[in-house]
Amino acid sequence: MPTKWVLHWHPNPGSTVNSQILNEVSQCAEAINGVKDGRWKATLTLLKPNLRDQSQPGEYPRELLGISLPEQPNKYYFILRGPRIVTEADSSIQVIMEKLQSYKSRIALYFEGYQYQLGDFQLRVGKVVSSHSENLRGIVLEVEYLPISSMEKASQVLGEFVDIWQEAVLKRSLPGSFMHNEPNLSEYGLAVQYAYVMAQLFASQSTQAVRN
Amino acid sequence: MECVVQGIIETQHVEALEILLQGLCGVHRERLRVHELCLKSGPNLVHAVPFVGPVASEVRLLCDLEHSEPTWTVKHIGGAMRGAGADQISVLVRSMIESKASKNVLRLFYGLGYKLENELLRVGFAFHFQRGAQITVTVSSINKMLKLHATDEAVPVTPGIQLVEVTAPATPENYSEVVAAVSSFCEYLAPLLHLSKPGISTGVVPTAAAAAASLMSDGGGTTL
Repeated sequence: MPTKWVLHWHPNPGSTVNSQILNEVSQCAEAINGVKDGRWKATLTLLKPNLRDQSQPGEYPRELLGISLPEQPNKYYFILRGPRIVTEADSSIQVIMEKLQSYKSRIALYFEGYQYQLGDFQLRVGKVVSSHSENLRGIVLEVEYLPISSMEKASQVLGEFVDIWQEAVLKRSLPGSFMHNEPNLSEYGLAVQYAYVMAQLFASQSTQAVRN
Repeated sequence: MECVVQGIIETQHVEALEILLQGLCGVHRERLRVHELCLKSGPNLVHAVPFVGPVASEVRLLCDLEHSEPTWTVKHIGGAMRGAGADQISVLVRSMIESKASKNVLRLFYGLGYKLENELLRVGFAFHFQRGAQITVTVSSINKMLKLHATDEAVPVTPGIQLVEVTAPATPENYSEVVAAVSSFCEYLAPLLHLSKPGISTGVVPTAAAAAASLMSDGGGTTL
């Protein structure tokens, strides 16, 4: 799995994410000499257990996350957050899960946008939309340092790049900032980072709903 | 989707079968040591089947123990093809989907609420070859574990008898050709064993001993 950092847009209190912010962020990538290099898309699916008796969830997990990533088109990742299980499988596992019907898709999040080349870095700027609505749910940023495949070795370089990026974004006086969790160094760290972003998006929207 | 036939052979004739298969397939055999775990969803985890109601789902996890690093496969076997056409063919055609998975896939399914229904260890060999279709012949003893997951302490379910399976992947568009290829191939094995749809047991064939003796004395040069 490639060594990347995944950052998500965190709106300031009282503000929300919108397409203008997405445009500004994209312009930011070009302003620091990023060369647009095609589109990308990742999908995160939230599956829920198909329970005979909904009032007795028992020992079943509340949700199962399924993730498909553009750099591994023939693979699919499952995450159970409670027991911290990340499983990689062939993409045909999705057909198996559909046949089993024990877990069913409730909502999917699509991360999609343009990617940019900046020297030894690849940057992906993407909007987050759900399968239920075309409204913008969030903005993500993927940063990859291409020469090094080891996350531990690339961390310092990635950190320095992100500092530069944050300064560039700050100059645009946007109502929010990019945030990232401590990069996950595990074997399937990229999938875990996307799961974390999803959790942050749902958490921030719950907070927004309470405020409203 | 896959086409499947099965049969049994006495262990004493397996060497002769191997000689015959070697001659027919033209490839080297591969050793087989697969830990097969059959999992079933818990009582509250179901899916609705029309006219039947809520039922549990089953999935198989196969752990290939033959190599230094075990590899895992998730396998779902679905319903068999039905109807007058299906009844007339001697090969079972059924839905089957496989997926390689990382080594923690068993933990994943346990975490999803699946329980171990049964487990077994298949030990033997396999031939993979192309003969009108991509065919796999496995010859193996089926072993049960006396303790949970104890593959080193497995004992044969039926001592002295081994299971022979002939399988070939198929699609809705080409299953007729695959069925014909499998049926045709099975005819070559007829003197040693009878292959039929799983669940239809025909026992050992009376000509097996003589056929095996012929093969062993001639090293496979004799045409059966």
